[in-house]
Amino acid sequence: MAESLDDWFKREVLPHEGGLRRYLSRVWPRGDEIADLCQETFARVYEAARVARPQSVRSFTFTTAHHLILDRIRRERVVSIEATGDVDALNVLVDEISPERRVSARQELKKLVRVFDRLPPRCRQIFWMRRVLDISQRDVAKRLGIHEKAVEKQVAKGGRLLVDWMNDEAPGGRGAIPLDESGEDEEHEQG
Amino acid sequence: MSKDSALRIDEAAGEWLAKRHCGNWTEHDQARLDAWLQASTRHRVAYLRLERGWDQAARLKILAAGNRADEPPPPGRWNLSPFFSHAPRSETRAYSALKHLGSTRAGLAVAALLLVLFGAYWASSLFVHRNEYSTLVGGLQSVPIADGSRVILNTDTAVRLAITDTERKIDLEHGEAYFEVAPDSRRPFIVKAGNKRVIAVGTKFSVRRDESDVQVVVIEGRVRIEAPNDTASNLLGPGTVAHTTGRATLLQKKELAEVQDYLSWRSGFIVLHDISLAEAAAEFNRYNTRKIVIQDPAIASLHIAGTFPANNVDAFARLLERGFPLRADYTRNEITLVAR
Repeated sequence: MAESLDDWFKREVLPHEGGLRRYLSRVWPRGDEIADLCQETFARVYEAARVARPQSVRSFTFTTAHHLILDRIRRERVVSIEATGDVDALNVLVDEISPERRVSARQELKKLVRVFDRLPPRCRQIFWMRRVLDISQRDVAKRLGIHEKAVEKQVAKGGRLLVDWMNDEAPGGRGAIPLDESGEDEEHEQG
Repeated sequence: MSKDSALRIDEAAGEWLAKRHCGNWTEHDQARLDAWLQASTRHRVAYLRLERGWDQAARLKILAAGNRADEPPPPGRWNLSPFFSHAPRSETRAYSALKHLGSTRAGLAVAALLLVLFGAYWASSLFVHRNEYSTLVGGLQSVPIADGSRVILNTDTAVRLAITDTERKIDLEHGEAYFEVAPDSRRPFIVKAGNKRVIAVGTKFSVRRDESDVQVVVIEGRVRIEAPNDTASNLLGPGTVAHTTGRATLLQKKELAEVQDYLSWRSGFIVLHDISLAEAAAEFNRYNTRKIVIQDPAIASLHIAGTFPANNVDAFARLLERGFPLRADYTRNEITLVAR
């Protein structure tokens, strides 16, 4: 049986979120709208893939984002034209984003630990008990003396923050320097 | 769609994910989730994104080996978990197993133990704390600190961190950095820029150093600037921009929105408020190895305003050519502006 669209999307498209966010934050000056643009880009890519899955997922994703930005500029007419009016500049920016970084499992784990450490203490502990120690929601609630719903809420929050932070450690990301402090790592990518 | 609805969708997706794994998932719940996913493709991609993250988070399990306590190791202190301190003991066992090498079973045991050893060595090398960070021209780097604070380095910047139990000290050797300080009243957060010290407790601010000149921009909270032999130190509140040159300090109080423009570099942009072309060129030259050179004093005093991607100096020059009576000559290392 062919791989489901959902699984394909998770495996092929979602890993580009970090690069996509870096791209969006370079061409779009309002940082608080990046999450929205990113979500909309993913939705458009998913819709397109219902019809036919693109050959080169990465460039298709960036092109989709590029069109989305142009749509927004036309619609809103508020973004300073200097930042985005030069379409050549936009194309340059797409090319400048490094090809998908090959991140080793070790770097990935290191990053995961780092963002996990940033969770608020309560959230961090509950996420640890649920996801890492596999303690049931009911038992976690019992051990901590709180309501089950409160545990569920912390799991939801922790899961969301981890994903946000895994993909957004690099504000702007001009990327002259690898974005995580991987000086001691063997896989060193200069962006 | 707005930025708020994107966040709301993410939050709803998080709730579904947590519910999905709560251990009490019913067919009825599944039907409701399916309906929610089908209502909008945005819902679906948000959910898939969190589901993928949930799968990835399982990798933390390899660091939980031997740690069955309810509490995870404290932030930044992972090297103290039992997983890491087991290494020396397994070494001895590996050695004695080596002596009994002969049967396949023993061989397998050795292989397994070597694997454990390698894993422990690999894991312990993960968490060596670095304390010097720098960026090249055009670079931008975010550095999370173990206490929960964060430093963002702008172009061509170097800092050195010294975090102890009594203070958090950051030496800004050159360049510009933005600080988000985690509150900790017992450990002041001190940024040293030449002979000036900028001291904060739980706040957001930036410090820029050009040799002995220091600029401080405060977004949130309060910071204090101290200079040697200076009895009156300056206490700065939100919206303050301070320039110190030698022993003189100029304080400007600005609207917060305007102050944010000083920090637009964090997202890769330069915001220029009606300044001369000469000043604009100097600003661009901070971020690019290809420098703008102005040949002609007549064009140096042209005034310019706008928001520009900091590292795309070519696009900036093209826009200038379009909007002003000047021409740009491009060479590998320079862009020379001449009057037309």
